[in-house]
Order: sequence, then C-alpha cells, then structure tokens
Amino acid sequence: MSLVTVTDLTKHFADNTAVNNVSLSIDKGKCIALLGPNGAGKTTTIKMLAGLLKPTFGTIQFEGSEERDYRNLIGYLPQYPAFYRWMTGKEYLVYAAELSGLPDGEAKEKAEELLKMMGIEEAAKRRISTYSGGMKQRLGLAQAMIHDPKLLILDEPVSALDPVGRYEVLEMIRKLKEKTTILFSTHILHDAEEVSDDIYIIRNGEIVLSGTLQELQEEHQQPVIVIETAEKNEEWLGQLETYAFVANVASTRAEIRIEVNDVDEARNQILKDILSFNIKVKTFKVGYTSLEDLFIKKVTE
Amino acid sequence: MDLNWALIAPVIILEFILMIVALVDVIKSDDTNGPKWLWVLVILFIGFLGPILYFVIGRKR
Amino acid sequence: MGQWFILFKKECMESWRNYKWLWMPSVFLILGLMQPITTYYLPDILATAGELPEGSEISIPIPPAPDVIAATFGQFSQIGILVLVLASMGIVAGERASGTASMILARPVSRFSFISAKWAAMLLLTWLSYLVGYAGSWYYTFLLIGEVEATNAIGAFFVYGLWLTFAVTLTVFFSTILKNAGIVAFLSIGSLLVISALSHTLTKLLAWSPGRLSVHASSIVSTGEGADHFFLALSVSIGIIIVLLILAYYLFKQKELVE
Ligand SMILES: Nc1ncnc2c1ncn2[C@@H]1O[C@H](COP(=O)(O)OP(=O)(O)O)[C@@H](O)[C@H]1O
Ligand SMILES: [Mg+2]
Repeated sequence: MSLVTVTDLTKHFADNTAVNNVSLSIDKGKCIALLGPNGAGKTTTIKMLAGLLKPTFGTIQFEGSEERDYRNLIGYLPQYPAFYRWMTGKEYLVYAAELSGLPDGEAKEKAEELLKMMGIEEAAKRRISTYSGGMKQRLGLAQAMIHDPKLLILDEPVSALDPVGRYEVLEMIRKLKEKTTILFSTHILHDAEEVSDDIYIIRNGEIVLSGTLQELQEEHQQPVIVIETAEKNEEWLGQLETYAFVANVASTRAEIRIEVNDVDEARNQILKDILSFNIKVKTFKVGYTSLEDLFIKKVTE
Repeated sequence: MDLNWALIAPVIILEFILMIVALVDVIKSDDTNGPKWLWVLVILFIGFLGPILYFVIGRKR
Repeated sequence: MGQWFILFKKECMESWRNYKWLWMPSVFLILGLMQPITTYYLPDILATAGELPEGSEISIPIPPAPDVIAATFGQFSQIGILVLVLASMGIVAGERASGTASMILARPVSRFSFISAKWAAMLLLTWLSYLVGYAGSWYYTFLLIGEVEATNAIGAFFVYGLWLTFAVTLTVFFSTILKNAGIVAFLSIGSLLVISALSHTLTKLLAWSPGRLSVHASSIVSTGEGADHFFLALSVSIGIIIVLLILAYYLFKQKELVE
C-alpha cells in the first residue's frame, strides 16, 4: 500500500532542469533509497517533498491526506543540517517538538527519549556549537523523528561522516526502519544495499531504474567474462565489439570485462580468439555482473 | 572644571560592564570572526562602540 | 502554548544569549545620559580647551530643556538607528543563508508567523531599549537643565518611537528578501538616510513621510503639538509599516528555500 505517491515531479531552475518527470511510490513500512551521483537531482526532489521548493509540475499525494499541508506527516533531515548554535541539543529538540504541536511536557519527554536513543544524552545540555559532525547528524535524526512522522526523509544522511560514524548512523536507520517509512538519498550503492528495500536510481534528474533490491540483483544481472591479461591487445578488443553475443566491453590496462548475452557461445569464441590472437591470459573467469556494475553502467552510460 | 561624578558614574559603569562582558565572551569563545587578539583590542580601545562591534560582527552566530 | 508565541519566545531567548538584551538598552541609555551631560558641561569644556583669547567672555547659553530631549532624538537617529539596523539585519537573512530556516519551515509553521514573531521580538527589544534611553535622558535633563512637561515628553516618546519602528520594519523587510546581512544593513541604512535627508529638505512634498516623525517629536516635546501635517505623517507611517510587513510576508512566501 502506497503511503506517498509522487507523479511526474519536475523542477526547472532558471538555467537547468534539475528533476524531470520523477515518479515514486513509497510503500508503508518500507525503506526507499534514492541513489544517484552528485548533481543527479536527489536534493531537489527531497526539497520538493519537504515543501521547501515548489514543483514546476507534478504532484505529491499523501495517503488519506487531502489537505495540501502534509508537513506534520514528514520528518526531514537536510543534506547539511543547520542548527541554532546557541541552543543546547535538548533545547533544539524541545523547540522542534513544540513547533510540531507537541504539548510542553510531552515535548520534553520525547526529547529526552530521542537523545538517549541516538546516544547523545550526555551532550544534551551542551551548546550545539560544541557538537561534532556525527553528533549533529544524530541530533538531526532526532529532530526529524520527534513528532513521530509517517515518513522520514533523509538527504544523504551518512555522506559527510567518517567510516565509524557512517556505520553507526546506518545502524540507526536500520533500527528506525522498524517503526516508520523512510526515504533516504545517497550516492553510494553500498549504503543503499545495506538498509533499503526499494531502490530508485536517479541520474540527470530522471529515474533510470527502480525496483526492490532483490529484483535489481536478479533481473538486471548479466553474464560477464573477466579476463586478466599480461598486456593489452587493441586489435582483439576491436574485434570483440563486433560479435553479436557481446553486450559491452570494458577494459583497463590489465583486465577486460565482457558482458555477454550468450555465455556458451561467448566462451567458445573467446577461447578460440585467445589462441589465434596469442593473448597472454593470466586468469579467465565467467560470472555475473554485480549491482555495482549495474549502478556504474546506469549512471555513466 | 567641577564635574558631578555621581551623574557621570552610571555612564562609566555601563561602559565598563559592556567591556567586561564582551571581554569575557571573547576569551571564553572558541572561535571568532577574525583574530581574537584584534577583537580584544577593539573592545578595549574603541570606546563603547568596541564591545558593540564585537557583539554584532565578532561573535560567530 | 500557541505556535506564534513559541517562535516569539525563541527570538527573545536568542537575543538574550547574543547579549542583545544587554547591549541594546546600554547603547540607548549611554546616548540618552550623555546628551544632557555634554550639554550641561559644554561651556566648561570649551573654557578648559582654552582656545579663546585672554579676557573674552564665554557666553554659551544653556539651551532649554525640551531642546536637550530633541538633541537626544538626534543621537538616537544616528548611533541608535545604526545599532538597531545592525541588531536586526540578520534576523531572517541569517537563517536563510545558514539553512536553519529550512529545518523550521519543513515543520507546520506558517511563514507569516515565522516573520511576524521575529519582527515583534525585535520591536519589543527596540522599544525597551529606547524607553530606557529616553527615560535616562529625561531624568538627567531634569536634574541638570530643567523640567519638560510630562505629557509633551510622553507624546514625543511615542511619535519618535514610531520612526524607530519604521527603521526596524524596513530592516526586517530587507532581511526577508535578501540573504546577505551586509547588503541588508547597507540598503537599510542607505534608505533611512535618504528618507531622512529628503524629508528634512522637501518638507512640503514629503509632508507624509515617516522621515518627518523626528521633526514632529521635537516639536511636541517643546510645544505639545506636532508640526504641520502631523496626523498625515503619523497615519501614513503606520500604514507603511503595516504594508512593509505584509509585503515581506508575501515575498517570503514566494521564496524557495535554497541555501
Ligand atoms: N537553486 C538552484 N538553482 C539552479 N540550479 C540548481 C539549484 N539547486 C540545484 N541545482 C542544479 O540541479 C541539479 C541537481 O542538484 P541536486 O538536486 O542538488 O543534486 P544532488 O542532490 O543529487 O547532488 C544540479 O545540476 C544542480 O546544479
Ligand atoms: Mg544533494
């Protein structure tokens, strides 16, 4: 069941189209990754969802909410969260909670609960100006959660963190996933693989591929032959491109990756070629492309 | 000149308080817009506008 | 607690932590006290400066008390306005530039509440600072120079306060539509100077201008009555303040929040 349905979302800026006809369906209880390289349009999409940018076209429909102002249903963590440096962490959370309509006492309770959950309760009474990047990110998550939103929108929640912070925040998201629906953006496939159920790959403002993690792994994997050689043979590389069974050839100095449609035919022909071109093969491997390959292909092609 | 110090004292005290509060803040703060020592000089030597300048543009928001 | 009041309280708290509650009243009080003091001691100061030839009599008449209050308005119009502009230039611009505004406005907060709470909190601070400075000036003038009729002094207080209100509203307006606080300060001070200068020269043409409020206030403090076209200037000023606030809201509503 869809919690949010985004249809044909488009955003033109004065000199470019940042988001073009993006449609998403965010199912209740799922964790959705918006995956794409820098400049793909992730932040622009998310800001439209958060009501901070006006879409040029397209609609955002919340389930059961006919009213246009659905801001209380979402919790938003921007890519670069900015807090009032003069407040303490707890003051900020209480302020955020009160603005979202929680009564005084409940706001305080909720703030304490979240500070504890995020593991920053010992810094609760310190000015935010003294917080580290990781602590600010946790505070950002806490403020996004404080009013129990139906949808959490997190813009690159781990990109700015070091490996440890990244691991910890991903764990946190995994925990939050139990309770609420999450949409988060990232430019790193690994992050998406770690925690998401559904993935939307976005590039140049358009969704180029989407599906559940499993679907993507299964449906889009392609047989690939990887050959490690002592030296590069340009003539043979040229020849490979011409075969009908070859879908794509990528080569570095020492390695050739040949994506193929028909593994058996390909194997036979390539083994023949190796002899006739006198290729100095070190390894020969037949396997399948990974999600990584798919992602790189989708964002570079 | 026969000054009535009782009348002038409040002004001096006020300026003094501003200066002290600004100095304490500049020393306590871990970061200012521009070098700290410069702000200390500004606070001490530009009259009562020195502390004000510090509060307005010297402190990091 | 209503949402507007939560926003308002946060602004007051921020001003407290920024020491604005300390330094703004201090500036106005120093200005207010210094005016009667320097007026009173001016003859002595000139005498000790000793520029005058031997034997010449110095006769600088001490001005009447209402003139000292009027001169205090002059002080407030320079350093006072400068301080008000500096204190309010970043009030919205700073939050937009840093991105704190987007995190607040992603919550169900109306943009009108967001702006008007800031405006109101700034005005509270302005009027309090001004009150302190004005009362100080009045009291010292009474001690050193002479009495000013209470009704005149109070009337002038409110009329001149409206000019300060206009100055703050204009700064908040620029702060809403621009992201750079420096440019906000520059435009605010620039336009206040121009408005003030033009209103003092083109007295007929700009009889309605808020820039004439200080003239009216000075007139009220000595005669109990405003200068010509007082009520015109008063009502137009109030109108402009309201229009500026609504316009700020309207333009802010159109704004997209990008850092
Ligand atoms: N306010 C803006 N004005 C003009 N162009 C913008 C603006 N914001 C983003 N863009 C452009 O839109 C594209 C998408 O940006 P963004 O959504 O920030 O990408 P991402 O978050 O995926 O890195 C980029 O080419 C960027 O330069
Ligand atoms: Mg981004």
